[in-house]
Amino acid sequence: MQITSEALERAVEQLAKLPGTGRKSARRIAMYLLKQNKEAVFELADALKELKTSVIRCSQCGTVSDTDPCRICGSPKRSAHQICVVEEFQDVYFIEKTNEFRGRYHVLGGVISPMENIGPDNIRIKELIERVGESGEEIREVILALNPDAEGEATAYYIHKLLKPFDVEVTRIAYGIPMGSDLEYIDEATLSRAFASRNAI
Amino acid sequence: MHITRLSTHHFRNHRARDVTWSPHLNLITGPNGAGKTNLMDAVHYLCMSRSFVSSSDRYVVSEGESEFRIDGDFKGEIRSEFRVSCLYSRGEGKRIFVNDSPLDRISDLIGMVPVVVLSPEDRKLTAEGPSERRSFLDGLISQISSKYLHSLMKYRRIRKQRNRLLQEFEGSSQQLRSLLEPWDVQLVEEGSNIVARRYEVLSAFRQFLVDQFKALYEIDLQPDLTYQTFCEPGEDVAQIQQQYEKVLASSREKEFERGTTLVGPHRDEVVFYLGEMELRNYGSQGQHRLFSVALKLAQLFYYSNLLEDDPIMLLDDVFGNLDRQKTTILLDTLQKHPGQILITSASEAPFRELSATPGSELLWYRLEDGELIEK
Repeated sequence: MQITSEALERAVEQLAKLPGTGRKSARRIAMYLLKQNKEAVFELADALKELKTSVIRCSQCGTVSDTDPCRICGSPKRSAHQICVVEEFQDVYFIEKTNEFRGRYHVLGGVISPMENIGPDNIRIKELIERVGESGEEIREVILALNPDAEGEATAYYIHKLLKPFDVEVTRIAYGIPMGSDLEYIDEATLSRAFASRNAI
Repeated sequence: MHITRLSTHHFRNHRARDVTWSPHLNLITGPNGAGKTNLMDAVHYLCMSRSFVSSSDRYVVSEGESEFRIDGDFKGEIRSEFRVSCLYSRGEGKRIFVNDSPLDRISDLIGMVPVVVLSPEDRKLTAEGPSERRSFLDGLISQISSKYLHSLMKYRRIRKQRNRLLQEFEGSSQQLRSLLEPWDVQLVEEGSNIVARRYEVLSAFRQFLVDQFKALYEIDLQPDLTYQTFCEPGEDVAQIQQQYEKVLASSREKEFERGTTLVGPHRDEVVFYLGEMELRNYGSQGQHRLFSVALKLAQLFYYSNLLEDDPIMLLDDVFGNLDRQKTTILLDTLQKHPGQILITSASEAPFRELSATPGSELLWYRLEDGELIEK
């Protein structure tokens, strides 16, 4: 087989590294870009470059941001009494979309997982404890919004234990039944969890 | 619950593409090596997402191919009609579809179509090590409780993480202890759920086993089973948790030394008895064979007693090893089962006198040179 363009092959190779793209779809995207006008493609290339040059981590909460502190940590409208602990920065985006939470965040950047050589020192647990300690009594509640899997629960347990000496309430988001779904179709494990964390009405 | 139609593509050496099934008794006879087991295994894939013969999906793909596909149409009481599809490719692994929509987790399939298999593999069940009996037990309970299956998978994960810490951690034992604690808490929680459920199910299952064995075996020997775990088992989860914590704490030094989790349901054992005699060590070959037949029949009737939908029973190559009298008893017992039964056999002799009883259909296929012919 004869390759007619090294540049095209290089683009395909790079695109194929993206999550969810195999070689076939990488080639389709490359061909599509090739047919676009120059400005559109350069715009995309600039946006990608910008992603690595302008985006920084907020020194307080650890989320991705263009500013430090980020717009959430810097906003006077956000309550300083509540901190919501999440695993990754995309979780901030999901919780923000609900418009329900008016406090601030703390992004751990992972969860404890010995199998992947991630211990408590490899994620931002120490920073969280310092944040709570340094705030005096300003932080009143730490909300753990971690996944309900083995690693998420181990991390929640570990953090909860470290926060015990402080005068702060530690809570965890409820496990429950997705909105709009029928009880009939909920698996037994979720349903029994939801039962265990039932509320008074 | 029963399968009405099965189709396979690149699945082992099976060439017959489309097979229709009777809701009651189905016989597939034909020479050894014709591919009878493959048909059974394809049905098993659609119920349990895996083979009952091969340890890996890779070995199930036809030679020279890189993917296989199995589709089955099912009919039941709760869900009237639905299709289950299992797709495997070397690159993407395995995916399960129900009515063409993908399942998030393959494990969500388990229990949708309850299945019981009796095959020559069952020899291991009574004769080999405890892990064989644990996996029988896990299969037995997982099909009736997704909560159990969930606990089991979570427990396995927690144990892996914990073992990794025990193996690799270099530091003081005090540091290790504080790192283990978040895992220990979960290990005790999920492990205790597993023990309580195993105890509960085995207590009820025991009587089914006794009844089935006694029907098969003319000599008056009382069959029995005991469930052995790290404590005196019971149904009270809180009590098991207490015991678990205690035993785990007292094994800590040993665990540090050996670098692995030493206490928990992953080391459980189920012991089978005939009278006072432990079957595994002292049973004759014939007793082993009958015991495993009784175990699987007990599973069948335990399910149909418990579930709205009758399970599918697969009997692969079982009749060749039984004498005439046992064959008659087994066939009589099976005909009492109102659900679907699929039987493979190299010999046709055991079934010559078999006829469709009123209200139950009998479908007889011969499999020869890869072609399935209705007899």
